[in-house]
Amino acid sequence: MARAREVPGFDCDEPFAHAAARVVSVRAAEIFDYSDGVLDLEDVEPVHDMRIATRRLRAALEVFEPCFPRKRHRKALKRVKALADALGERRDRDVAIAFLEEVAEGVASNDRAALTKTIERLREEQRAANEALAPAVAPKRLKKLRRRLDKLVKAAEA
Amino acid sequence: MKARPVEGLDPAAPLRPNAARIALTRLDELRALAEGALEPGAATAQHEMRIAAKRLRYVLEIFAPCLGPEAERARDAAKALQGGLGEIHDCDTMLPRAEGIESLQMLLQTRRELHYRSFRELWQAQAQSGVWSVLQETCRDLDTTMDP
Repeated sequence: MARAREVPGFDCDEPFAHAAARVVSVRAAEIFDYSDGVLDLEDVEPVHDMRIATRRLRAALEVFEPCFPRKRHRKALKRVKALADALGERRDRDVAIAFLEEVAEGVASNDRAALTKTIERLREEQRAANEALAPAVAPKRLKKLRRRLDKLVKAAEA
Repeated sequence: MKARPVEGLDPAAPLRPNAARIALTRLDELRALAEGALEPGAATAQHEMRIAAKRLRYVLEIFAPCLGPEAERARDAAKALQGGLGEIHDCDTMLPRAEGIESLQMLLQTRRELHYRSFRELWQAQAQSGVWSVLQETCRDLDTTMDP
């Protein structure tokens, strides 16, 4: 799992709003850095890493809410939540498939066919979730989100 | 489940007392949910407690440097709690998919029971270790520098 990066210059005695700018800036950069390979169905790690990074950014946006202009903050948080949801839909299927494949050995032989069908259904859902995720992680969309978050950081620094 | 609002935060005030106030609110929220979540079949309460543990964990991930070593211990405890409750939640979300697959249903129910017992023991051990009460005291002390 991706570790959270250190926040340079993080100082407990500086104003809350300045810390908000520092933390959100680093956490925002992380989600873009983890966007490579998220649509690869053969490798479940990139989507997991990007999801964790998105969760951390969301947590930072929520925690520092009073430091940002209200309307701009609300819109940014809404976009980040939508991204997190799309990543979550895909990740939930990845986890469910891995879980069922892991427990398959412990399932009675007369239940194996039904279990295989359930896994096949989950793979279909995984593909659908991946298709729904694609526009959310398209470079153009991510660039737009990045600009939005940069503006938010600047407003907190001011 | 919506997070409880944190009253009286001040963007111009130093980070440390603001951080203490946020952590204190998230800790209160977590502790308030424990009683309900300790009921064996309380799937909704356990899910809500998992969300509260996650919120506290992320808050402490951000603010631990300002709240001292107790906060690092509490962050690890919140992460363990989130993980344990997550295992229960995984069984709960998987159970509807196991409909008609009897041996899978039994396996999931057994796993759920084991994870529930581990969660209960973990919560009791954490309470006994004082991790939550120490964090509460620390945050209260640091929060006194701000207006109520």
